[in-house]
Amino acid sequence: MSTSPENPDRAIVAWAKERYPIAKFVEWAEHKTVPVGPNAFWYYFGGITLFLFMIQVGTGILLMFYYKGSADTAFASVRFISAKVPFGWLIRSVHAWSANLMILSAFIHMFSVFFMRAYRKPRELTWLSGIVLLALLLGFGFSGYLLPWNELAFFATKVGTDIVGVIPVIGEPIMYVLRGGEDVTGSTLPRFFALHVAFFPALLTTFIVAHLFFIQLQGIHEPDTWKEHPEQRKTMPFFPHFFMREMLLWLITLNILAVLAVYFPAELGVEADPFAPAPAGIKPEWYFLATFEFLKYMPAHVGPMEGEEFGLLLISVGFIMWCVVPWIDRGRNPLITKIVMAAGVAIIVFLSIMTYLGHSA
Amino acid sequence: MRRFWAPALVLVSLGLAPVASADEPEEAADAAEVELPGGECLACHETQEDGVAELWKDDVHAHAGITCVNCHGGDETQADKELAKRRGSKYRGALSPREIVDSCGGCHGDAEYMRERNPLLPIDQLEKYWTSQHGKLLKQGETKVAECASCHHAHGIREVNDAKSPVYAANVPAMCGHCHADAEYMSDFGIKTDQYDEYVESVHGKALLEKNDVRGAPACNDCHGNHGAAPPSVDAISHICGACHSYNAELFLGSPLAPAFRERSLADCVACHGKHEITHTSDAWLGDEPGTTCRKCHEKGDEGSDLAVYFSDTMESVHQSFDEIDELLTEAETKGMDVTEAEDYVEGARQGLMQARTLIHAFSKPAMEEKLIEISENQAAALEAGYAALRGLQERRRGLAISTMLLLLLTIVLAIKIRTLPPLD
Repeated sequence: MSTSPENPDRAIVAWAKERYPIAKFVEWAEHKTVPVGPNAFWYYFGGITLFLFMIQVGTGILLMFYYKGSADTAFASVRFISAKVPFGWLIRSVHAWSANLMILSAFIHMFSVFFMRAYRKPRELTWLSGIVLLALLLGFGFSGYLLPWNELAFFATKVGTDIVGVIPVIGEPIMYVLRGGEDVTGSTLPRFFALHVAFFPALLTTFIVAHLFFIQLQGIHEPDTWKEHPEQRKTMPFFPHFFMREMLLWLITLNILAVLAVYFPAELGVEADPFAPAPAGIKPEWYFLATFEFLKYMPAHVGPMEGEEFGLLLISVGFIMWCVVPWIDRGRNPLITKIVMAAGVAIIVFLSIMTYLGHSA
Repeated sequence: MRRFWAPALVLVSLGLAPVASADEPEEAADAAEVELPGGECLACHETQEDGVAELWKDDVHAHAGITCVNCHGGDETQADKELAKRRGSKYRGALSPREIVDSCGGCHGDAEYMRERNPLLPIDQLEKYWTSQHGKLLKQGETKVAECASCHHAHGIREVNDAKSPVYAANVPAMCGHCHADAEYMSDFGIKTDQYDEYVESVHGKALLEKNDVRGAPACNDCHGNHGAAPPSVDAISHICGACHSYNAELFLGSPLAPAFRERSLADCVACHGKHEITHTSDAWLGDEPGTTCRKCHEKGDEGSDLAVYFSDTMESVHQSFDEIDELLTEAETKGMDVTEAEDYVEGARQGLMQARTLIHAFSKPAMEEKLIEISENQAAALEAGYAALRGLQERRRGLAISTMLLLLLTIVLAIKIRTLPPLD
C-alpha cells in the first residue's frame, strides 16, 4: 500500500495497519463497554488513580533533575527546588498532593469494588493485584516522605520502621536493611530514595499492567441484579463515551491539584538532625495514622506477646481476611455476604475513627 | 538477637545489609578486687561504722599507694589498736585544720615527690592557699575556715573531673555555699551569705546547674580562684570577667568609661551587671529614665545620658524593624511562600544586633552607627525578600486563575462533546 502525501494521518494509519493488527485492536476497543447504573460513578476512581500516578511519574522525574539523595544535600536540594527552581515549588507541591490524592483515590476505588462485590469469581486476581497495588502505593508514600530529610519525616520514619521491627522473626532484619543500620541515619536516605525511584516504580508498573490486563480480559464487573433482570442491563461504549467522561474527571482532578498546590504548598520545615531529641507530636502521614493509633491502644503485654506484636498480629489477620474475601464470599450464601458487607462498613468506621483520633491526638 | 542473624546473613549475602560497623563489646575488665593500702588500720575500720573504709575505696590516694600512716602516723602492721597507736609510732589521730594543710601540702607542694607520681598536677596549691582569705585566717588561728579537706573531703578524695567529687564544677557552688550560705556559721566573719542564692538564679548559675555547662559556665572558683580564693579587687574585675568575655572587656577598657570608673573606684563590669546575681542583659537597661542602668550614674541631659538615649532609641528602632519583618514573613510563610532567603538576611541582622549589644561596651556613637548601617542593610534586604514573596504569591494566584480558566474551558468543550455523542441504548 502506498502512502498519500495529501493525507498524512491516513498514510500513517495505513503504514501501521500494514505491519500491526491494528484493525483487531480497533474492533476490540469499539466493542468494549462499561455498565451504566446508579453505581457507575465509582468506576471512574480506578482511572483517576492511574491519572494521578502518571502525574507522580512526570513530576517525580522533574524533581529528580535537582534532588540530591544524600543526608548532606537532600534538604538543601529540596529547599533549592522550592525557592529557586522556576516552578519548582509547583512541581514539588503537585507531587506531594498528587501522592495523597492518589492513595485516597485508591482507597475509594478499593472500597467501591468491595461494596459492589466485584471481587467475586472470576475477578479474584484483579482484587489481589489491586491490594498489592495499594500496598505498593503506601510503600511509595512511606519512602517518599523521608526524602526531603526534614525533622518531621525523619522521626516519622523512625517510628514507622520501629513498627516494622516489631514483626516477629523477619521484622528486625527488614528494619535493619531499610534503615541501613540499627537506627535511622544518613545511611537510610539513599535506601529510601532507591526504593522510591526504582524498586516501587518497577513493581508498581508490573502490577498495574497485570491489573489492567485482568480487567481487559474479563471486562468491568456488572451489577449482580442484571443476572436476574437482564432487561435492566445498560452499558455505554468505553470509547468514546466512558473515556471522555473519564477525561472530564481528570481535568477536574488536575484543577483541584493546582488549587491545592497554590493555596497549600508542600512545607519543608526544619532539617533533620539525627542527634536532636524527637519533637513533640510526631505523626505519620494520614494513611498510616489508623495503624499508628491502633497500636498505641495496645496494652504492654497480651498473654505471652508484647502489645505491639499482638496489635500487628490482629492487623495482619485482618489484612489476610481482606485479601481472601473473594473466597469467603462467593455469592452462594446471603448470610455470609451480609456479614462480609457489614465487616466492610465496620472497617471503614474503624479506620475513620482511628485516623481522627490519631489526627487530633 | 539470635533470631535476627540468620535472615540477616542472607541479606548480607545479597549485598542489601549495611556494612557491619558495630564493634564487639570490649572484654570485661578483670573484676578481681584491688587490695588497697591501709593494712590493719583498714581492717579495723572496715568493722567500724565511721564510713572511712568505704570512702577509702574510691580515694585517689588509696589507688596511688598512699596509706593511712602517711597522714595519720601509727603502725598499720599491728592488729591490736593499742599497739598500732602506741607511743613512738608517731600516731597523730584526726588532724587539726592546720595539720591537714601541712600534711596535704607536704606532698602536693613537693615538686620532686609529685613529679614521680603525678607530674601534670600543679604544686602551688599550698603557696596559693596561704594567700587566700581562708589561709590568712587560718594562720591567725581561726579554725572555722576552709582547709583542704573542707572542699576535697578527708577520705574518698576523687579527681576534680569526677562528677561525684565535691570540687567537680557543677558541685562547687553547693560546696562553697555549704559554709558561705550558712548565716549562723558565717556570723563571726561579718560577710553576706546570699551569694549562693543569687548565683543559682544568675545566668551563670542556670547555665552550670540547669544546663550542666561545666566547661563554659563559671562556678565560684572561676572568679575567686581555687586554692587562693579571695574577693577580687575592683581593678581585677574586668580581667576576671574578661577571661571569658574578652571582647567586651577589651572594648570597655578602651572606652572613655574605663578611666571614669577608676576615678570613682567603681568595679568595671559589676557596676552595671552585678556580681553573683548577674542576669541576662536587656535593651531596657539603656536610657535615661529612672530604673535604667545608665541612670545609676548619669543625670538627664549630661553627655553620658545623651549617649544612653541614643543607644536606647537605636535598639528600639532595630526592634521595631524586626517586628515589621517578622509580621511580613509570617504572613508570607502562612500563605505557603518560601521565605528562607529573607530569613537568612534576618539572621544576618540578628547577628549584627548581637554585635551591636557588645559594641555598647565601647560607649562610642560612631562605632555603633557603623554597625547600625550593617543591620539596616540586612533588615532592608529581608523586607524586600518578604515583599517579593508576597508578590510571588499574587503571581501564583494569577497563574492559577488563568490555568483554571483554561481547564474550565477544556472541561466545557469536553462536556459539550460528550452531549453530542450518540445516545446510549
